[in-house]
Amino acid sequence: MRGLALTTILTIEDDERIRRLVTLALKEEGWDVDEAATGEQALELFADQGKTHDVVLIDIMLPGIDGFAVCRSIRKASDVPIIMVTARADTHDVVAGLEAGADDYLTKPFAGKELSARIRAMLRRARSPEASSLDRISVGELEISPDEGIVLKEGEELHLTKTEFKLLVELSSQPGKIFSREVLLERVWGYDYFGDGRLVDVHIRRLRTKVEQDSANPRYVVTCRGLGYKLVP
Amino acid sequence: MLAKLLGVLVDNRWWRGLVSRLTLLYAVVSLLLSAGIAYSTLTIARDRLGSNFEETAIRQLEENAAEVRLGLQGLPEANDPETAGEILNSIDSKLTHTDASDSLLVLEGIGARLTNRSEAEIPAELSAKLNTVDAAGMYYSFGNEPRFIAGVRMTNSNPDGGADYYEIHSLVELEGTLEDLRQILIGAAIVSSVLGAAIGYYAAKRSLAPIRRISTASKDIADGNFQTRLDMQSDPDLAILSSSFNGMVDELKAKIERDQRFTSDVSHELRSPLMTLRASVDLLERKESELPETLQQAIQLIGQDVHRFEQLVEDLLEISRMDAGAVQLQVSNINLLEFLSQVVKQSPTPDIEVVALDSSETVIIAADKRRLAQVFSNLISNAAKYGGGAQRITYRQISSTVQITVEDEGPGVPPKERQQIFERFSRGAADAGNRQSGTGVGLGLSLVKEHLNLHGGNVWVTDRYDSKPGARFVVELPVGDIDELEGELAV
Repeated sequence: MRGLALTTILTIEDDERIRRLVTLALKEEGWDVDEAATGEQALELFADQGKTHDVVLIDIMLPGIDGFAVCRSIRKASDVPIIMVTARADTHDVVAGLEAGADDYLTKPFAGKELSARIRAMLRRARSPEASSLDRISVGELEISPDEGIVLKEGEELHLTKTEFKLLVELSSQPGKIFSREVLLERVWGYDYFGDGRLVDVHIRRLRTKVEQDSANPRYVVTCRGLGYKLVP
Repeated sequence: MLAKLLGVLVDNRWWRGLVSRLTLLYAVVSLLLSAGIAYSTLTIARDRLGSNFEETAIRQLEENAAEVRLGLQGLPEANDPETAGEILNSIDSKLTHTDASDSLLVLEGIGARLTNRSEAEIPAELSAKLNTVDAAGMYYSFGNEPRFIAGVRMTNSNPDGGADYYEIHSLVELEGTLEDLRQILIGAAIVSSVLGAAIGYYAAKRSLAPIRRISTASKDIADGNFQTRLDMQSDPDLAILSSSFNGMVDELKAKIERDQRFTSDVSHELRSPLMTLRASVDLLERKESELPETLQQAIQLIGQDVHRFEQLVEDLLEISRMDAGAVQLQVSNINLLEFLSQVVKQSPTPDIEVVALDSSETVIIAADKRRLAQVFSNLISNAAKYGGGAQRITYRQISSTVQITVEDEGPGVPPKERQQIFERFSRGAADAGNRQSGTGVGLGLSLVKEHLNLHGGNVWVTDRYDSKPGARFVVELPVGDIDELEGELAV
């Protein structure tokens, strides 16, 4: 058994040297690391450890079951933050990875500093209770409790990932106000101006499938063309 | 006017085209042929008609002259004008005529008889001729009328001396016939040269059709469409050309793909070890303070070169993607001022000012944020390397485009290098004495250009506005936003 305070990261990477250097860099940060070389091994490890990992790092290109499938399996079982590792930023891989349930992505080659920064941002999102002035925000049939991390829709709890929840809370902090992608990227993901707007787009889309009756014609999370998104009170 | 027309012809050189030349050749040949035929036809017709006419006219003259001579025998006995008139009338009734001829009898001392024509109509040349010969004829024109006149001199057939008998033929009808014929022949010549030109054009087109197909195919291939093939196997004359052309395209395609794959594979292969290197250097750098001074320096050197190496590999990968046409722009709407300010803020020189020149409105462009940021950070670092650092960045909207300039105070770029610096792996003369570590590898500006071209923009370098020494890089991009959220999700 692990100590409760220790942050554990599951890293899935078939290239042995990259796996070792990731482990090295993460251990430097004071985190514990579980390594897996294949998707099968990773899923086994994830289940064995009682799904207690704090962040999962998945390389998309894996022998056997690929990164997307691993991501979907883990997402089905847990809302643990997932970071996808892709070879290129401008391919369909990024969107597919986010669709599969990843919260963020990194492109190879990435620097150790970048990796730790992404993981730290994830951990902050997952751990910190929302310091909102309101205990409870009601928007139509939605009831959001930032402190408890709960969203109720018609009294029933919705299962949102940490990122989706944080996104919804940001939008609901000022209902009716338009949030640009840059602002959402900074507040939810901790990116600067040059972050990838597709992160916001795909997460908004996933959020809609959970909070909207008809996600093709959203009632709550509305697109403001050319400007961003807003929550309609 | 003519000089101008000729100038246009020479300038346009349309006649240099194979089809035009063949068409022209066919037209000229058929014109020459038909003109030759027309000319000889006309000449022959004129000769035939002329000699026919002359024969008839002379026979008629001889017969009529005999009648006149016979009739005039009685004239010396007739002392009174009345009898003379009767004699003349009886002569006249015995003469035969065509519609176009008239008789004229000139009696010495008496004057013209038998006709309403006057002596003045007889050319002096002919009457002079009759002094030496008994009979003569000639063509002449009276007024505007073409005529033939023939005359016979009869001596001692008149109490007062001799008599001349003439016949005047109007040639109007004959000439009219020839004129009609001439016009018909000219018309035929024109029609046949037009037909010749048409046949020439058609034949040239037909026989050049394969060449046209080859040139279309070559252009396709030059544009990068390697699926193009020639299909002319059905024509035995062209089958060899067609199959060797297709073979050449296959080989070319394979070679280009091999080259592209090579660059891409090599760069990909280099990435993993680079990543390990990078991370290891990161770790070492973090523990730098624990290491001896010499090792610290070594680590800094490695760190810088690893960074350079990474940059090169990324640039090579981007270039091989461009060559393979595999770049997918992630276009979103960008507020130019905000964007440029952010790029500057993240550059090693965050103090450069960004100025909007005479543009009070927000400029929005649709572009790939990450790639466009790379364009400007390349220009900024280029200015830092060669121009002593960028002075300021300005932009100005010019109708549907925006021009963004990055100015420095360096030595500038000599005019002959202004194209060349945007080529791959090219370095200006400025590089000769500037090869310290950390300088680029000559891909930066070529990537700038290619990225901008992908965005429908362009880049060039000129002198500074204020004509101080220094370079001014001008980036031109189309202005305008896209329906971005829809576009983004349609990926």
